[in-house]
Amino acid sequence: MGMLSRKDKKTSDSSSSSSSSTSPCANFRAAYHNCFNRWYSEKFVKGQWEKEECISEWQKYKACLSEHLDDKHLSRFLEAEKSVVDHCGQSR
Amino acid sequence: MVKAYKQEYTYRHPWERVTSASWRKFADPENKRTLSHILEVDTLNHKLDSNSGKLYTTRAITIHAPGPWFVRKIIGQDICHCVESTVVDGHSRSMQLTTRNISLQKFIEVQEKIRYDPHPDNPESWTLCRQETSIQIKPLSALASMAEKVEQRCAERFVQNSAKGREVMERICKYLEAESGGISL
Repeated sequence: MGMLSRKDKKTSDSSSSSSSSTSPCANFRAAYHNCFNRWYSEKFVKGQWEKEECISEWQKYKACLSEHLDDKHLSRFLEAEKSVVDHCGQSR
Repeated sequence: MVKAYKQEYTYRHPWERVTSASWRKFADPENKRTLSHILEVDTLNHKLDSNSGKLYTTRAITIHAPGPWFVRKIIGQDICHCVESTVVDGHSRSMQLTTRNISLQKFIEVQEKIRYDPHPDNPESWTLCRQETSIQIKPLSALASMAEKVEQRCAERFVQNSAKGREVMERICKYLEAESGGISL
């Protein structure tokens, strides 16, 4: 996915002026999002959703986030595995 | 004081491609220039229900939203965190995104809902996007007296930004189309 390869640099550049707290995770984030985007377009939309992928990318990214995500409103979503479903359920 | 806006847009691309583009919307550097108000997007949580083919995701979106100087003075920041919840139903081919702000909720609540469904006139090749935005300024906030002005400003920004968002979506769809050789996805 060439279109995403320059993202890391760009992200850290723009966030240095933005009081961002998760930019140390930019590499993990890019790795996970690249993997997820590929899985979504190549597998999920074709009905191959039995198996989760990008698990190791996700674990590394999530570990980094839980270390650097200061905002308590945001970390609430990170910690509560279950809240994803609940939150979406409410918004339907 | 609630303002609500509805917009509809038809993408002449299949649902699979449009929803793939939606995930990539904020990520690629080309689009960062167009959507310069988006600073960062982090995935906080995701869940795949492999029986039903449903995918649930929660993402944090950090937005740079500079207002007039007096607004910045009062609220003391020009960075806004939003939380986006997405449900994709692979069986019925629908994607629904709900975004709401979690910063500044004392002053303003913005909720944006976007749905991507196969277009009823051409379900295999086109995608219908329906977008609903509601903006509410809290009447008892310190901003009450200037609320009308701020609300108007927000609304203008949202309309501008959703036009930019469509431009980006069209570009990524073209990219994905070219990448796939225009055959399947």
